Amino acid sequence: MIYKVSYIVQGGAHPGTIRNETSYPQVGETIRIGKHSFEITEVLELIPPHHDFSYLHVTCRMLDPRDE
Amino acid sequence: MARWSILKQVDAFNGLTDEQLEKVALRCQEMLLEQGDIILYESDQSDEVYVVAEGEVEISIRTSDTARSGTAEISIIRLGAGQIFGEMALIDQGLRSATVRCVTTPTRLLVIPHEDFMALCEEDGRLGFIVMRNVAADLCFKLRSHNLAWK
Repeated sequence: MIYKVSYIVQGGAHPGTIRNETSYPQVGETIRIGKHSFEITEVLELIPPHHDFSYLHVTCRMLDPRDE
Repeated sequence: MARWSILKQVDAFNGLTDEQLEKVALRCQEMLLEQGDIILYESDQSDEVYVVAEGEVEISIRTSDTARSGTAEISIIRLGAGQIFGEMALIDQGLRSATVRCVTTPTRLLVIPHEDFMALCEEDGRLGFIVMRNVAADLCFKLRSHNLAWK
């Protein structure tokens, strides 16, 4: 399964990104978008899966480097 | 990575047979770009569809900056490998609605000219139906995500 994920960053600190993932995002997980790290705070299924793709909306918050 | 393999990871081509994917792959042209390169300008008149094969691109729009009596450019989203952009012009042949620039080096794109895609649809109606359905679904995905972001 390919997870097409729309990442939205709380507070607008980053424009967010849409990219494919090979594993299902988990709340609490730390991810890298570009040069920055983010913590996932919410995962929603945006539309039902179709063939090889699953469609997710993920909310995350930018991590302070001191948090990592 | 071979073009066929790249297209297999693009949801716009989800549901195509291997033979149909190969037809699309043969119509693709390749671009290799660097961070900062502009791919499209807002209000351009062009109608190719792009696939991000490697790297990341940033979509931005101009807004009026009333405080400085000018315009400001704001970034609205970034797209990683496997995503398409420029698809609205494929459907409505309108002017480009945003500027797209590379944010990584390298950024590798596959480009499908509008006329080539239309020729493919004429040749293989089922392929055209599947891709157009998937492009519509991609636009719905982006719109739903945008709406959720506002909440």
